[in-house]
Amino acid sequence: MDLTHDRIRVIAGLVVVAALLLVIPATSIAAYYIAFLYLIFFWISMATSWTILSGFAGYWSFGHAAFFGTGVYAAATLATKFNWPFLWTIPAAGLLAAALGTGIGWLVFRLQRLRGELFALITISVTFVVAAIISNTPIDGGSGVYLISVSMPELFGSQPGTIYALGLALCLMTLLITYGVYRSRMGLGLFAIHDDEDVAEVKGVPTFRYKLGAIALASGLAGAVGSVYSINVSYVTVGETFEITTIMYPVVMSIFGGSRHWLGPALGAIIVTVALYGFPAGPEAALARGGVALGLILVVLLLPGGVMPALTRIWQKTAPRNLVPIPALPEPLVPAPRAEEAALAARHATVLQCKDVVKTFGGVQALKGVTLDVRQGEILGLVGPNGSGKSTLINVITGHFRLDRGTIDFAGTSIGQLPAHRVARLGIARSYQIPRPFNRLTVLDNVALAASFGDGHGEDEARRMAAHWLGYTGLARKAFDYPPALNLHERKFLELARGLAARPRVLLLDEVLSGLNNTEVDEALTLIRDIRDRGTTIIFVEHLMRAVNQLSDRIAVLNGGALIALGDPKAVMNDSEVVSVYLGKAHAS
Amino acid sequence: MLLEIDSLTVGYGGAPAIWDIALKVDDREIVSVIGPNGAGKSTFINTIAGLLKPERGTLRLAGVDLGKLAPHLVCRYGVALVPEGRRLFAGMTVEENLEIGCYRPEARKDRARSLDRVYALFPVLRERRLQLSGTLSGGQQQMVAIGRALMAEPRLLLLDEPSLGLAPTIVGEMFRAIELIQSEGVAILLVEQNVGQAMEIADRAYVLEEGRIVATGLPEELLAQSRIKEAYLGL
Amino acid sequence: MSHVSLSLIEQSLVTGILAGGLYGLLALGLSLSWGLLRLVNLGHFAIALLGAYLTWWMGTAFDIAPWWAGLIIIAVFFIYGIGLHWVFMRFGVTEMQSMLITFAFAVIIESTLQFLWTADFRRYETAWGTQSWVIGTLYVPKLSLIAFIVAGALAGATWAWLRYTYVGRALRACAEDAPIATAYGINHRALSFLLSGLCAAYAGVAGVFIALIATLAPSQIWAWVGVVFAVVIIGRLGNPIGALMGGVLIGVCEALTMAVVNPSWAPLVSFSVLIALLLFRPRWI
Repeated sequence: MDLTHDRIRVIAGLVVVAALLLVIPATSIAAYYIAFLYLIFFWISMATSWTILSGFAGYWSFGHAAFFGTGVYAAATLATKFNWPFLWTIPAAGLLAAALGTGIGWLVFRLQRLRGELFALITISVTFVVAAIISNTPIDGGSGVYLISVSMPELFGSQPGTIYALGLALCLMTLLITYGVYRSRMGLGLFAIHDDEDVAEVKGVPTFRYKLGAIALASGLAGAVGSVYSINVSYVTVGETFEITTIMYPVVMSIFGGSRHWLGPALGAIIVTVALYGFPAGPEAALARGGVALGLILVVLLLPGGVMPALTRIWQKTAPRNLVPIPALPEPLVPAPRAEEAALAARHATVLQCKDVVKTFGGVQALKGVTLDVRQGEILGLVGPNGSGKSTLINVITGHFRLDRGTIDFAGTSIGQLPAHRVARLGIARSYQIPRPFNRLTVLDNVALAASFGDGHGEDEARRMAAHWLGYTGLARKAFDYPPALNLHERKFLELARGLAARPRVLLLDEVLSGLNNTEVDEALTLIRDIRDRGTTIIFVEHLMRAVNQLSDRIAVLNGGALIALGDPKAVMNDSEVVSVYLGKAHAS
Repeated sequence: MLLEIDSLTVGYGGAPAIWDIALKVDDREIVSVIGPNGAGKSTFINTIAGLLKPERGTLRLAGVDLGKLAPHLVCRYGVALVPEGRRLFAGMTVEENLEIGCYRPEARKDRARSLDRVYALFPVLRERRLQLSGTLSGGQQQMVAIGRALMAEPRLLLLDEPSLGLAPTIVGEMFRAIELIQSEGVAILLVEQNVGQAMEIADRAYVLEEGRIVATGLPEELLAQSRIKEAYLGL
Repeated sequence: MSHVSLSLIEQSLVTGILAGGLYGLLALGLSLSWGLLRLVNLGHFAIALLGAYLTWWMGTAFDIAPWWAGLIIIAVFFIYGIGLHWVFMRFGVTEMQSMLITFAFAVIIESTLQFLWTADFRRYETAWGTQSWVIGTLYVPKLSLIAFIVAGALAGATWAWLRYTYVGRALRACAEDAPIATAYGINHRALSFLLSGLCAAYAGVAGVFIALIATLAPSQIWAWVGVVFAVVIIGRLGNPIGALMGGVLIGVCEALTMAVVNPSWAPLVSFSVLIALLLFRPRWI
């Protein structure tokens, strides 16, 4: 695995660059350049920290200025009114801003509707509220706060030298943290949230916790950066701290450089800062601002991922390399029986039990008290006309919807009220009828995510497992492609691979066969039987009755939200009620 | 012949969803297309309505090639769609929904008469004409969806699963309304999963399975064949 | 807190309502393009200010009366709106991307204004610009009242247009389900061009009044962003009357906070309303 290698290289590289930069103030370089470099560090930290939540998880925040401003005023207040030594204000500012960010996240992230532009809107509102509070309370009082008398240790014989070093240190810390998140399970989870939050949760990603963690890191870093900024400007005002550029530039820089890459925002920050502050005030500065804006429009329209991914693409073309080599395939992988399975080893023991399950949507009962048991090691066909409640039942079992009434027990645990990611970790996985891959993760990472969060593997191990499952489902060649490049058949198999990678005890397959041609259907049937023979219980929703009858040990028929038949396939499909549901009363003789 | 479809192939993103479909609908005829979920029924009917572009084949309505028209021009030639799941404009009132139906210039002139016709067919809609359509019950919503299509004064009415999600008694009511519409001279192409009702009402029927027409004929002939049982029950 | 007289409250009510007219005027185009086209146009504020500068410039440099200037601006902006929408369509721009692109447009316009007319404050001086009617103890500035009446007329006309005409209803239908609207003969593309042009033209109208009422500076663009966003959301997206009423509500809240407490508390009121709305009534949007 090259990953560890990559980690060492990046971390070492960052530390070496930082060490080299630390030498600069000791040279006889003009103070102007020191100040300019600090500005670059400042914007790199702002843009990079913004991206942890907003770039990775796709929750665009215009509240970065609020967290930054909290840090600015925390430092100013602690240093001037409480006479704290300045260095101590840095962690305090970070913690305070992180507390604010976490609080906001705790309120907002529970509401599913507050995604996208509404999240942007609520964060920008928070910025204005924070600004109004600070300006109207003794924190600022409307006249600004002077930090001139605040003393600071002098590195390199001057205060600007200290500020430079602090700015550099924070910048390095931000980059390391962001890289750490990027390369961790959490990073993978955040990317999945960006692409499809509901699916991420169902695959076992603790979405609420991760979003909260991401906003805590982003806001905390912005707060710490604000603290150093306050001493740098030595006079802070509400107008300047919360001005629209502070709100927008982190966003602009990240998007410019590429907000899904840990280094993208830094690149964007450097380009934009040089273009903006390279000119002193005056007409040229106005033109430079216009130029940056024009550049932003071009990047958004023509390079939707930003500059960094475009550069990596060129780089990879000249030097093609894969981060993860594909293991020798095909290498059939037998899922090791879990410990608990020994206890349940006896086939036909009930593994999943739904009792009187009721789910209502706006007054309409989608499930009207379904009672159903699923036995260890069986293939249960779940059929019924359109709108009969099959999808709702799947969504209730996997925890996507909470139960309104009744209970669902899975291997001794009541799961009816558990959030989806907990259910996934207990060992229930599903596939989607219309494949819902994470479109901006590679095929390999799609499966690795399921292995990591469903089966509890570390990142490297998860990728190794993912490669196996791709081999098993015949997708090994596509490991480094992105899902939109796959055809329907391959995407269906990717769904299957994601389901398998979680090594579930129960796998719910939602119309895996629809849209496949005859040979593909036969391939899929063989695969599904094989999965069952390796010990996984399968609930199989399908409209292709030939397949259902061939494959199922038992069939359950839903109609209008109620279970109308359950049992042996032949008997069920000849049941007069079932026949009348499908073919009309006249035919049910 | 009102509608003539020949070797029609339609797909999403390269993968065809229906292949080589041939189908005819005569004036004043009710034709049902039945088939299990995922067979391609909606793809088929949406293509006729102009929402999807055919990859191959022809779609002629009274001699006009619909497949070549811009999507918003298809309805001018007398096609109106009642889409699957109704898809009303939920934030608009019942009457506003109906008036979208007569948006095409030829139908606007007859707005008042068409409204009366719809309200005569579904009296409850007249009472609820100022109610937001999203707040209606499922059956009433289906009435609005059918009414909206009638406002366009179609020669061919396309119905996509009108029984979906409705209680059995309301389904019966809906099919009686459909027969009434036909008796006023409108040809109907009905796509259904509910085989019983769809067959009862149809003059002719087609069975669509995995994107292809696998059988066609009179309803009673088709029901007698094992083909349908196979498609639906896998027996 | 100092003693607040009744007449001060009354005067701030009048001031607030009239200020709300200008907010409503600015919010109108933003609300329509966001609600009906799903595009968030931050550039709206910038072109409104551009309109104001053009009105001032035509008036002071060429002696063109503001109403004639207004006609020219409205026509030009209408075409700009169509062009902008063409770019959005051509590149399949999403809601979030539209925010960024129009922000960039706003910065470009701001820089251009600064380049052409510097960052100094500009004031359009007219003989009648500062006249007021006096009713009892209340001052009613004539221009603000006219702005309010125009805002009311435009909002009312737009509301009626969306509600009672085929084209207006078609626009609302497209916003809910464009494919089905298309199946009923609605040419979605053509209508969205029309609407985008109209929104830009509304910004032009707002611009003329801004030129007459306010002092101009390029950075003024950003002063409105927050408040007008709050107005748009409170008034409900795509609802022209709502935009005006939201404007009045915020205007009055601000004027009262200014009179009773302190001017700088004003933003707190509008944004707290907005946050509460988003948190507790998310279906409002």
